[in-house]
Amino acid sequence: MTTIERPRYRAVGEREPRLEGLHKVTGRSVYAADVQLPGMLHARLVLSPHPHARITALDTEAALGHPGVVAVVTADDLARAARDGSNPARGASNRADALFADREVVFAGQPVAAVLGESYAAAEEGAELVHVEYEMLPAVLDMEAAMEPDSPLARSPVSDIDHTEEDAHVTIDVRSEEAEGRATNIASHVSFERGDLDEGFARADFTVERSYRAALVHQGYIEPHATVAAYDAATGEVSVWTSTQGQFHVRDTLMRLFKLPETKLRVVGCELGGGFGGKMIQSATVATACALVAERPVKLVFTRREDLLAATPTPGSVVRLRSGITSEGDLTALEATVIYDAGAFPGAPAAVGSLLISSFYRWPNLRTDGYEVLTNHVSVGAIRAPGIHNITHALEQQIDAMARGVGLDPADVRLRNAARTGDLMASGKPFPSIGMAETIEAAAAHPIWTRRDAARARSTETTKVGVGLAVSGWLGGLQPASCELMLNSDGTLNAVVGVMDISGVNTSFAQIVAEELAIPVESVSVNTGDTRTAPYAGIAAGSKTTITMGRALREAAIDVREQMFAIAADQLEANPADMVLAEGEVQVAGSPDRALTFRRLAAITTGFGSLYTPIVGKGAISARVQAPGFTAQLAELEVDTVSGNITLTRWATVQDAGYAINPLSVEGQMEGGTGMGIGIGLSEEYLYDDEGHLRNAGLLDYRMPTAADTPDIDSVIVEVPSEEGPYGARGVGEPSITAGGAAIANAIHDALGVRVAEMPATPERVLRALGRLAD
Amino acid sequence: MARQTHLLRVNGREHEILAEPNRTLLEVVRDDLRLTGAKEGCGTGDCGACTMLVDGRIVTSCLMLWPEAGGHEVRTIEGLADGSALHPLQRAFIEHGAVQCGFCIPGMILAGVATLERTPGATRAEIRDGIAGNLCRCTGYQKIVDAIESVAQAPAGRD
Repeated sequence: MTTIERPRYRAVGEREPRLEGLHKVTGRSVYAADVQLPGMLHARLVLSPHPHARITALDTEAALGHPGVVAVVTADDLARAARDGSNPARGASNRADALFADREVVFAGQPVAAVLGESYAAAEEGAELVHVEYEMLPAVLDMEAAMEPDSPLARSPVSDIDHTEEDAHVTIDVRSEEAEGRATNIASHVSFERGDLDEGFARADFTVERSYRAALVHQGYIEPHATVAAYDAATGEVSVWTSTQGQFHVRDTLMRLFKLPETKLRVVGCELGGGFGGKMIQSATVATACALVAERPVKLVFTRREDLLAATPTPGSVVRLRSGITSEGDLTALEATVIYDAGAFPGAPAAVGSLLISSFYRWPNLRTDGYEVLTNHVSVGAIRAPGIHNITHALEQQIDAMARGVGLDPADVRLRNAARTGDLMASGKPFPSIGMAETIEAAAAHPIWTRRDAARARSTETTKVGVGLAVSGWLGGLQPASCELMLNSDGTLNAVVGVMDISGVNTSFAQIVAEELAIPVESVSVNTGDTRTAPYAGIAAGSKTTITMGRALREAAIDVREQMFAIAADQLEANPADMVLAEGEVQVAGSPDRALTFRRLAAITTGFGSLYTPIVGKGAISARVQAPGFTAQLAELEVDTVSGNITLTRWATVQDAGYAINPLSVEGQMEGGTGMGIGIGLSEEYLYDDEGHLRNAGLLDYRMPTAADTPDIDSVIVEVPSEEGPYGARGVGEPSITAGGAAIANAIHDALGVRVAEMPATPERVLRALGRLAD
Repeated sequence: MARQTHLLRVNGREHEILAEPNRTLLEVVRDDLRLTGAKEGCGTGDCGACTMLVDGRIVTSCLMLWPEAGGHEVRTIEGLADGSALHPLQRAFIEHGAVQCGFCIPGMILAGVATLERTPGATRAEIRDGIAGNLCRCTGYQKIVDAIESVAQAPAGRD
């Protein structure tokens, strides 16, 4: 924690253990795969083994004849799922709509059919009996080659790209131009320009030109995608229990795909076993289609292999940079090309990645081109701050190289050029309140940075020690939010929200209500309703839940307070403006004996013949101003120059939280994102063979960090208030993932004097950079 | 496959189970006994979400066929608390903020129990090794190690 004086509150700002912790440590929480319904069928998927092919025959007869198999559902059958007989899979432009491959498969692992069985085993055996014939089409596997005008196309042209899902993660004004006619694999192109590049480079005393690559990686949630969907033909009711970050997003998509009236559609977002941007809808669409076709409840739980092959991991990238700096440390020019491998459907974050690589520092002259390129890799989705760990890995190595080139401290160069509140982003829109500079200052003062010479002095002949710094951030998203808050008979309060609690937000909401009503946190119950019982809420993504729904809770609590004050004033023959709260009572200010307890207020607003209305508070907000969060991370590591192996020895993550409503949760978000950044930096990578098949579709070979791979993480919270977040809070979920890979890369350079330009920095790549392995 | 009957002792209670012998311990405990605390995260023994204790030893129950557990003492997360009295590790996980999404937590806590039974007073490094078979994606392991360490350093016995 910083030593800056924090505003004093009674409930917010305290380290509050999670409300639902007890359920989780005793195994009581219900996740989607835990749901079991009478008569429930099990669905198993048939996946395409080929990255690009035409389906010439699909024979389900043998599967249907297998004991226990009830139905096989393919793209052709989806017209039976939609209530108006339309087929949602026909010409689907985005991944959420393309439930099954429709005549053409566009990535290895794409679902082709689902087999429904009375038991899991029957469905699994049936899936092996579905016979599919394919005619191979050329597979497009290299994003740079795919951009060439003569490249084969990764897929047949589609139109009308739906951006709903990516808009959930970030709110930016830039909309990339989409390639016309789709005669190319470039799904979108965005560019930013400022000043005069030639002039900028002419003014530079030192120029760096480099190319960087980042691998395609998976979000790595431990709970695979899971849904139980039920359709009751008698009532027309559809109920869906699913693992999602956004139950209203699932509801709206199911309504649109299957033409279901929302009065008959109930989506229950279950306890979520991790999402990180990747848990939107993949299993819910397929399971619901199956339930509608079979008219039975259906459970679909992805295997880990299916989740790696057929969910929505996050894109690999190529970033080419040329940039200049003066000997005083002023950045003069940036020329950037940012390419994301979108896989087989559009959805890569080219616009926001290009915007942020151009906007974190004050470049007087710049030109950035961002591309989203279609290939026959798995289609991608979001991860914490989608696309930003990629550009940070490039930009922050570039800054480090430039600072070293002119003999300046890399932290000083960053601070000197960092964007400040009100600076124009490359889009021309000003940054709202940001704490980038304060974050860098806190990192530069951290002992890992100030004592880095002592760390380096530990180096031996074969063990080299280095320290790296990297800085990054995330704009965050905006979405309206609403909630209800009701006074209970015993004087406690129940809140109903429709947003998924993926990061401890319900606990923060309870703190906010407790704060505004001057009661203990234990007197507030925050309940996640389903899509028919909760008021509207956006997707829990984009680091926006606390800053939007938290504000709604604050409004609802203020609404409750005002209702209480009006009733109490009437009862106590006083002025509502003279009412105050104290320990579960409404009192007349200065006369604590003239008071009504919350319990009494509940009684006189709910009893027979009551003159007053029940106390129900409403909070509904539409957020206008983003609350970007910045992070600065310090990695200290040892490189074994014989094996290329890297051991992280110390780590610090500094982050601007605006105001930490629950520092325990904020640290949790910082540490979790840091852990993911470490994996992305060191070991995680989709490995494809030359034909486009994933070689490591399992958790033994897709290598996420274990506790033994992870160092102790020192979390340092900086608090620069945001404009609109409750109590000044900012979104904290996403920035923490962005800088780890870059901090590791800079530490490797610090240790070895060479750069590993490709992420993850595996031992093999380290040895290559050292010239000890041939390319 | 022909079903078999075996006695399965889970959390101190004996169950007579009739099931196909090629099903895993995880499947039978979750689907037949409806104890869903143990989770399936990978099905290949790599993530540890399905961790149970069999005779006090860590087992990835997604890799063990259920008849193999016959005659042994199986412990799941549901059997760790004594009524409403939590095991010290359960309490420590809550208080230290070690619980986020919670999906890995039942397995992680049992791995912590086994680690501390094997190595009382374990150091942070020993704790990290002890839970290295259990993946967590939410916490960076920081507060999980903090929680287990707090119990390792506490005076012996249940408080």
